[in-house]
Amino acid sequence: MRTTVDRLVDGVVQTLLEAVLPDLATPYARGQLYAAVDVLRNLRDRVEPRTDLANAESDSAAAALERTLAVLGGAPAPTAAIRAALGAVPSDPPLARTAALRAALVTALTAVDGLPADAARAARAPILEHLGGQTMRDVAVLKPSLLAEISQS
Amino acid sequence: MRDLEPRLERFLASRLAADAVRIVTLSRSTEGFSQETFRFDAEVTTNGQRETRGWVAKREPVAGLLEPYDLEPEFRVLHALSADPFPSPPTPWFTRDPAVLDRPFYVMEALPGDVPVPAPRTDGRGPFTDGERRTLGPAIARALADLHAVDWRGLGLEFLGVPGPGRATAERELARWEQRIAASGLPADPALTAALLWLRRHVPSCDETTLVHGDFRLGNFLVERDGEGARLTGVLDWEMVHLGDPLEDLAWCASPLWRAGTDFASGLLPPDELAAAYAAASGRAVDPARFRFYEVLTLVKMLAIMQTGIRAFDDGRTRDLRMAIFDHQLPFLLMVLAMTLNFFGGGD
Repeated sequence: MRTTVDRLVDGVVQTLLEAVLPDLATPYARGQLYAAVDVLRNLRDRVEPRTDLANAESDSAAAALERTLAVLGGAPAPTAAIRAALGAVPSDPPLARTAALRAALVTALTAVDGLPADAARAARAPILEHLGGQTMRDVAVLKPSLLAEISQS
Repeated sequence: MRDLEPRLERFLASRLAADAVRIVTLSRSTEGFSQETFRFDAEVTTNGQRETRGWVAKREPVAGLLEPYDLEPEFRVLHALSADPFPSPPTPWFTRDPAVLDRPFYVMEALPGDVPVPAPRTDGRGPFTDGERRTLGPAIARALADLHAVDWRGLGLEFLGVPGPGRATAERELARWEQRIAASGLPADPALTAALLWLRRHVPSCDETTLVHGDFRLGNFLVERDGEGARLTGVLDWEMVHLGDPLEDLAWCASPLWRAGTDFASGLLPPDELAAAYAAASGRAVDPARFRFYEVLTLVKMLAIMQTGIRAFDDGRTRDLRMAIFDHQLPFLLMVLAMTLNFFGGGD
């Protein structure tokens, strides 16, 4: 998630009160909306992102970067850049570790891009495989989209 | 929204030189995620004659997916195309005067038909019947070819910015979207970074420049159905219009992003059939390397648009909850990107 839970909740609450409430005609519907706002406001400071998901992403990213380093062997410039990025990764808290490892992946992708094509492809492959796997892990926890209803209600 | 009605009535009366204008219905549409869209019918009285006519007003949002906003270029394109046979909505008026609707807006004539959306339906059916696909699919390919045949110099559309020859066209588009991604201020995403680097390595050369709609796809097609077939009555949402490589539009239209749960480009034709129909209608060969570049750029553009929306919501500059959903829509898009660039097999 790019947006924090508190900002999402604050935004939803504000929209419900300012954009939805004025269009609700019945007392029951207005009461239900106020109840939803009350629930959200009280949920806001009691929800934390799941650390197991962050740890799974971090472990996979760290392993991918180690595989890339192994592929690079004697290429000094990209190796140094990746090792420096890995050196900046904190061991805790989990979300900070994940964010730092994402930054290290960006550093690594950029660094290997300057290599000859075949060497770059081999060094890039472990990172791309990790990113492919991560998209599957991310999608696996999402609910079916309501985009059709959102677009045409 | 009721406060908009008397102001719109005064605006229309002045532009139409009418004795009286009365807004009969006014509603805000939810199809467009970027600009604010208002559909309205008005009773117009001129010299004692009364008629009811339908219009659509597009207004700049305070913040949104394609900020910073400037409606004037797309208005100028639509206005210039108003007399062209291409099915764009006749668009007579634009104003920046904040006294009318607070922010700049333009007004188009309402065209008949409805706008099928690209989201998959819960019943698993696509947006069109087989009969509708048979008539509408080739019509879409022909319309795209017609758009790319528009004499943009003759219409005075150079103000959109004429790209240089060779690789300059693709480089300009890539730079445009890299700039948008950077402007979102979000931390660099590794998968998106991989895609941008791929694009840099595969910039194609192109020696023809056409008008490019920029958002030519299911969701922007106005369609009228007759029980058996379907007819394209309008192509909407021109805010990404520019001059460039025509294959950018073809790749956008064929993208997996708007297949509405089907295997068909824009829910209409198998992608290779759309390309073949377009090639036949335009007389233009579909170069695989150029098409591939724009296929990947399509996904990067959508990621950039979503990141812009996420940032606007995160900053509190918009409270449109449709921006908030992009936060959890991004992984779907990144998965399509991973499949397109074969991340699972180590990349292209």
